[in-house]
Amino acid sequence: MKPLNAFFFFLLVITLAACSKENDDLSGVQDIPGLGGDTWVEDSLDKWLYDSLTVPYNIEVKYKWDQFEFDVTKTLVPPKEEVVIPAMQAITKVWIDNYIKYAGELFFKKYSPKFFILSGSASWNDNGTITLGTAEGGRKVVMYLLNEFRTKGMAGYQKSDTANVKQIFHVIEHEFGHILHQNIMYPSEFKKISVGLYTANWNNIYDSDAHQDGFVTAYAMSSENEDFVEMIATMLIEGKEGFDKIVNSVQDKTSDNGTTKAQAVAALRQKEAMVVNYYKSAYDVDFYALQKATRDSINALFY
Amino acid sequence: MRTNLTLYIFLTALLFAACKREDDNVFKQSPDERINQVLNTYSTALTSAEYGWKGLVYPSAFSTVPFSFYFKFDTANRVKMYADWDSATLIDARESSYRLKALQQPCLLFDTYSYIHILCDPDASINNGYYGGGLLSDFEFILDGMSSNGDTIKLTGRQHASKAVLVKATSKEAQDYYDRKRNWDFLYSSRFLTYFKKLHTGKGDYDIYINESFKNIRIVNANVKFSAGYYLTPNGVAFDKAFTDAGETIYGFNNVVWSEDNQVMTLQVNGRAATITSDKKPYIVDSTAGTRWYNAAVNAANYYIAPYGIHVDGQNDYYNFSSIPGFAYLFFFPNYGQSGYEFTGLMENSYYGPALKRKISAAGITTFTYGGTFGDIPDHGTTPISNIVTKFTESTGFYMVQTSDYNTYDMVNVKDARSWISWQLY
Repeated sequence: MKPLNAFFFFLLVITLAACSKENDDLSGVQDIPGLGGDTWVEDSLDKWLYDSLTVPYNIEVKYKWDQFEFDVTKTLVPPKEEVVIPAMQAITKVWIDNYIKYAGELFFKKYSPKFFILSGSASWNDNGTITLGTAEGGRKVVMYLLNEFRTKGMAGYQKSDTANVKQIFHVIEHEFGHILHQNIMYPSEFKKISVGLYTANWNNIYDSDAHQDGFVTAYAMSSENEDFVEMIATMLIEGKEGFDKIVNSVQDKTSDNGTTKAQAVAALRQKEAMVVNYYKSAYDVDFYALQKATRDSINALFY
Repeated sequence: MRTNLTLYIFLTALLFAACKREDDNVFKQSPDERINQVLNTYSTALTSAEYGWKGLVYPSAFSTVPFSFYFKFDTANRVKMYADWDSATLIDARESSYRLKALQQPCLLFDTYSYIHILCDPDASINNGYYGGGLLSDFEFILDGMSSNGDTIKLTGRQHASKAVLVKATSKEAQDYYDRKRNWDFLYSSRFLTYFKKLHTGKGDYDIYINESFKNIRIVNANVKFSAGYYLTPNGVAFDKAFTDAGETIYGFNNVVWSEDNQVMTLQVNGRAATITSDKKPYIVDSTAGTRWYNAAVNAANYYIAPYGIHVDGQNDYYNFSSIPGFAYLFFFPNYGQSGYEFTGLMENSYYGPALKRKISAAGITTFTYGGTFGDIPDHGTTPISNIVTKFTESTGFYMVQTSDYNTYDMVNVKDARSWISWQLY
């Protein structure tokens, strides 16, 4: 019985092995639609983006609609083609050029996020607020409301447009800040400055109340990392004067969390100093010079 | 051991039986080949139409309201577009990009901003829709089928399931767009001094009702009841369904010309001269509209409002209610507080007005009788209120005309049909 048993067993193995249909070649793979990404007939806009951002910095800008780059539950529209170049030029001036000037080209190419997605409209939230920028994984930055992107000299520009555009810059500086501290961590003393005040409830807090607790924005209260990069983004976009204004706006009263005016001001100043030192020691960048240049670029766009 | 052996024999037999060397596919080609074929078919159809395509989009927020477009697709992913959204979009072509893409279905994407995106924009200030949703329209469409002769393509929106249809344009239709023609005289139908409008085609006489807000047209007489969406074309107006009566089919009106002085709209139906005139009585009175109007509010425990007041002799808000500080609307609250009286008043910083009693005759005529007042009438309110009472208590009463499926009614006076109030359920 034993040999017969073994015979059947081998027969089974052979049968299984023999049953290959030789269908495992890869012919037909070129038929898969969309494999390798979307394609279209490229025009001058595509060429401009390629020449101005992809070639020098390896940054891809996606302005043609692709629902899967966004939250699929949101109603959004793609950007107008005519706003893409002015917007990317402004970003180049405010963000890319200044970092290259004060931190070097190698630094910028090494750390910059590589993938920008553009939406024409804002992203509307259920509570009636709008989101103007999001980012994922230090690589992808989504910018909204491009169709309202207007700077000085563009048709229909009003002073009120600056808020939208500044928020877009803020998102980029914010995300870039994350990339920087993910590569070289900031000193752990930073985490001790506002210990105990971080909260998941930050979205119900006004910026002015956040200032009273020694935070530069309400979002900075969400965690130590966000605090650090919100400091970077706000200081760069608002400039030294703008940041000083925020510090000086702290009222002479004790916050709901028991922070006094002196404590709040001290916390903000301490965080400022740590950001400045961090830039110097980690990347050998003069933060105040970068700050001035960034703010000057923004002023040139708007005022 | 015996069972074991039997098991092996069966398993081996099963394997041999299972080892058939052919695929038995339902389709001869692979899914990828087939989807590419579908995309190619649509791509060829879209780009090879010499005179482009007419398009109608029905946003999900107003699924019966057509918005009209003209598209000319080229082979380099570019599309030129006109739209009847406003006067500029009808005469200035806008170029943007499109592409065909296999998503979960073969799809047509308008992938940079153009006129079709106006309906979708989540900023309600752009399209009077919802904040965060716009008019619930789409710019990513599933290619949902092509007619056998290839001149009609059905589209369904991917996000909001709005409906759209593309129809091959004729050379004349295309030329009218390129010639930047713009005939919007049809919209002057609101300037008839007398309410009821009559269409005379030479083959038939009809009541015609035009609702500009919902882009709806109704054509009615004893034989026919027709309702359709309408949209403006470079030449006049077209219906999104064909109207058939008296042995002819009508798709729209051409060469529409409005004459304010003569109170007549001349137009062409199938190349034949026709007119729209006005009259103080319709051919067909909707005898149940008055009851529907009244009951809709009673059943919803709600009231009607008329933000534009009372229209008299061609003038909206003839009694100038809007000059009252804080004026919001004229309202009609049937059986107010179970009093048995209809509170017909003005909403401003306070609210006040006459208590009326409403009756409806068998012929469908609504009449009102005066029975006192609700609220405290301030000094500046006495003249408006006496105007309201005088108008509402006209002994000949009012026709009610339902103007949409959304509880909007026009209340037209029987005496001369030159006064009317446009009610909407609040």
